[in-house]
Amino acid sequence: MKRKSDKAWYALFVLPLVFVFTTVVIIPFFIGIGYSFISWDGMPLNKKTFVGFSNYIQLFSDKNFISSAGHTLLFTVAAVLIINILGLAFALLVTGKLKVRNIARTMLFMPYLIGGLILGYIWQFIFTDVFKSIGETTGLTNIFFSWLLDPKFSLFALIIVATWQMAGYIMIIYITGIQAIPEDVVEAAQVDGANFWQTLFRIKFPLIMPSFTICLFMTLSNCFKIYDVNVSLTKGGPNRATEMLAMNIYNEIFSLNHYGYGQAKAIIFFVVVAVITLIQVSITKKKEVVM
Amino acid sequence: MKMKKIFRILLVMTLIGIMTLTGCGGAKDNKSANSDGKTAEKEEDKTNSEEKGTTESAKKIVVFQSKVEITDQLKALAQEYKAETGVEVEVWNTTGDDYLQQLKIKLGNNQGPTVFSLAPGSESNELSAYLADLSDLSFVGDIAENMADVKEGKVTGIPYTVEGFGVVYNKGLIDASKVTDFASFETMLKEQKDAGINGFSLSSESYFLIGHILNTPFALQGDPGAYVEQLIKGEVTLEKTPEFVEFAKFMEAIRENTNNPLEVKYDKETGDFAMGKSASIHQGNWCYGMFADYDVNFEMGMMPLPILGNDKIAVSVPTCWYVNSQATDAEIQAGKDFIEWLYTSETGKKYLMEEFGFIPVVANMKNEKLDPLSQAVAEYTNGGKTIPWPMNSYWPAGIVDVYLVPVAQEFFTTNMTGTELLQALNEAFVEAGK
Amino acid sequence: MKRVVRILGEILLLAACAFYLFPVYMVFVNSFKNRQELYENMLALPGKFTKEYYVTAMEKMRFLKAFSNSLIVTIISIAIIVVLASMTAWMLVRTNDKLSKTLFMIFVATMLIPFQTIMMPLMQVMGWVRNNLHIPMLESLGGLIYMNVGFGASMAVFLYHGFIKSIPVSLEEAATIDGCNKFGVFSKIVFPMLKPTTVTVIILDVIWIWNDYLLPSLVLSGEKLRTIPLSTASFFGQFTIQWNLAMAGLMLTIIPVIIFYLCAQKYIIKGVAAGALK
Repeated sequence: MKRKSDKAWYALFVLPLVFVFTTVVIIPFFIGIGYSFISWDGMPLNKKTFVGFSNYIQLFSDKNFISSAGHTLLFTVAAVLIINILGLAFALLVTGKLKVRNIARTMLFMPYLIGGLILGYIWQFIFTDVFKSIGETTGLTNIFFSWLLDPKFSLFALIIVATWQMAGYIMIIYITGIQAIPEDVVEAAQVDGANFWQTLFRIKFPLIMPSFTICLFMTLSNCFKIYDVNVSLTKGGPNRATEMLAMNIYNEIFSLNHYGYGQAKAIIFFVVVAVITLIQVSITKKKEVVM
Repeated sequence: MKMKKIFRILLVMTLIGIMTLTGCGGAKDNKSANSDGKTAEKEEDKTNSEEKGTTESAKKIVVFQSKVEITDQLKALAQEYKAETGVEVEVWNTTGDDYLQQLKIKLGNNQGPTVFSLAPGSESNELSAYLADLSDLSFVGDIAENMADVKEGKVTGIPYTVEGFGVVYNKGLIDASKVTDFASFETMLKEQKDAGINGFSLSSESYFLIGHILNTPFALQGDPGAYVEQLIKGEVTLEKTPEFVEFAKFMEAIRENTNNPLEVKYDKETGDFAMGKSASIHQGNWCYGMFADYDVNFEMGMMPLPILGNDKIAVSVPTCWYVNSQATDAEIQAGKDFIEWLYTSETGKKYLMEEFGFIPVVANMKNEKLDPLSQAVAEYTNGGKTIPWPMNSYWPAGIVDVYLVPVAQEFFTTNMTGTELLQALNEAFVEAGK
Repeated sequence: MKRVVRILGEILLLAACAFYLFPVYMVFVNSFKNRQELYENMLALPGKFTKEYYVTAMEKMRFLKAFSNSLIVTIISIAIIVVLASMTAWMLVRTNDKLSKTLFMIFVATMLIPFQTIMMPLMQVMGWVRNNLHIPMLESLGGLIYMNVGFGASMAVFLYHGFIKSIPVSLEEAATIDGCNKFGVFSKIVFPMLKPTTVTVIILDVIWIWNDYLLPSLVLSGEKLRTIPLSTASFFGQFTIQWNLAMAGLMLTIIPVIIFYLCAQKYIIKGVAAGALK
């Protein structure tokens, strides 16, 4: 009897969202999987040919796809680390007793609101014009030159802009985590003679493990999927050095009209990323302290 | 156990996905579903806008088009059209950049506009199933030769205007009559460089970087369409085609003697030109609008890029109007009425010429207020000194952004030779044409 | 020692702010310049602070209409997301079986799907729903809200899931013994305790929904239904961009979000300080 009513409650709480979610995300995703077995340009009235797995076979010899996967991996590892370190540092600073904390909280999150063409325009100006004139005035021309013309440095540029955009966003989640730490725990530790670093590493970090899980996952998924910043800042250039997977897939589908092939890429991309990030989630979840 | 179950569910869902696509997703189904949807939408529209419309012909059409520069004027025109005919014309917004993708998705799920625009060529070919026959519009016979988009003997696209590109130059700094071949072009670049002026400028955006300039050697081929086909099949190579060999020399001279186009954005390119810092830029008449805010104190003109003594500029129809063949008959009729009105009524013609600033493509139309660059295009056109745009008609879709730009970027950031450039471009065409 | 650390912190934070604010500063000053002024110097203050471009931008955007559309979509979407996602997440945490774990993993995994790859099938599904079930999913704010809920579900469930775990079960058990049913327990005990997370979800979703361009651009085309980012779209063509209008439009888009954030952030801090966890 009780179990039955439990099940009913479960359904009542979970089903509405699952229904919406299924119709909006899951079904289109499965239709997408269906498309990946078809050679088609995406227009319903145009010819579709069933090609089986050949789209999947083809992508393993697609050197642009593979090299963009490499860039994405490199970018993601670097960006996830930097964004989380900075985001956490910001969160610790603005929840502390500093005088500038209130202004800072607002300013640090503002970049997330600037995207697209304007973001590209401003940062291109910084990396090209501002950097060049800094280089000329200081003589440090091997650091300050037009970054976007150099394959390595343009990847750094992308990491900087992504960090600039996302660290403040991630900070918001860390703030929530830090604020949830009961003050008496911290106080008790301090009474027991724990210094700043000990409180930080022994008390605070273990207690914000759920935030770590969430933030790592969100930065991972956002960095893997990065598209907007990529398009507006470098468009993949110079010479494909900063072409990320999402952009490669997008171009395949919408520029080259290879809809089915693009979907196959997207599916493989999804599987790989899902495996990586789910491993991450299960690792960090295990470290969470359950109260 | 559980895993197996999940796997089975996934499999079933995938199969259903495939079946709905290949099996039931035939064109006929779409069409009937479509007309259903359209009427439903129309009813909604009627109730929404509280219109009294009871007749069969649509009282409202939607226009979606890519030329952002004329959006405001088009909206004003829509007001006048409503005042004259009672038919409401709704103009949808676009950034222009994602226009094609939006249009395709909207056409694809029957949410499409009645009247839309495309570049004639590979764009309109891909969507040819969605283009209504416009052959019975009264002025079709008056459209200048080869300007309408014709598919299987039917006129489907009505040209907006013609646009032309070439070397836009500062008449105070360059004497066009002296720049007629590679040697004189290179001399010009060097002279300007010595005078502290940038002789010629490309800019970093796809077509402005490589698309337009590479169009010229293609257009100079006897039959550009056949040439592209042979190129993709590997029957000809760029390296062994004289126009391209010369093109490579131009590119080397540009890299040698001018600023790096990868550091120049469209805004800076046109700004430098307007301020007299660049003597010439590779642009088309569309860029005149960019000078509106500047005090330009010199005369400008347009001259050909003199590859192998070429004395023609590249002129073509960039965009055509199309009517959505998947709309209801009433809507198709209303769409055709609108285009008919645009090209034949006094108000419509006034807007085309004066407000949109178009170069006439239909007999009996005249534009007396053309800007200097459009004037130059009109003169070259009237003198028959034009070459086509194979880049729109024959190049594989998406090649410029996805394949050519990376090659150009490599060329402008390394010491790649002209021959290597041609090899890389050649490879790009073969790859993209697969 | 402590003082040094604090001063260092202040300086560090100020420097970060300056670095962060610089591009925002550029948007602001350049929203007052015409093309030539912009070309001549992007960094300089404008010659004069004229409201001209803001007025033009507002007119072209039909600002009030767009603003109210954006407001409706944002508020309703988020309200639904918050309620449904917190309920779902709570059940998933408290019912520790295979089904819950699988559902949670599916929610999480789908956050990795790039939107661009499912937007076309999504529009087909929604078009099908409209044509066959006659529910107006396209060209309606309701349809957009529905889709926002679908796309916002994963992140919200994920966030709630993480924080519900840190709430002691004992409180809920006590309430159950007192005769509350599940809904009572949830609405009276659990939901209030989730306040900091709720505020976080609201902030993150406001940022996303208010600024979202791609999904609304596919769902809404008509002038009457435009949200703010759609209404500024025509300023933003790559080759036709009018920088002053675009930047003024951007300022008009983000100022409401900033004001909202200033109000909301107090809640994160107060909510906890007031002892919601005890």
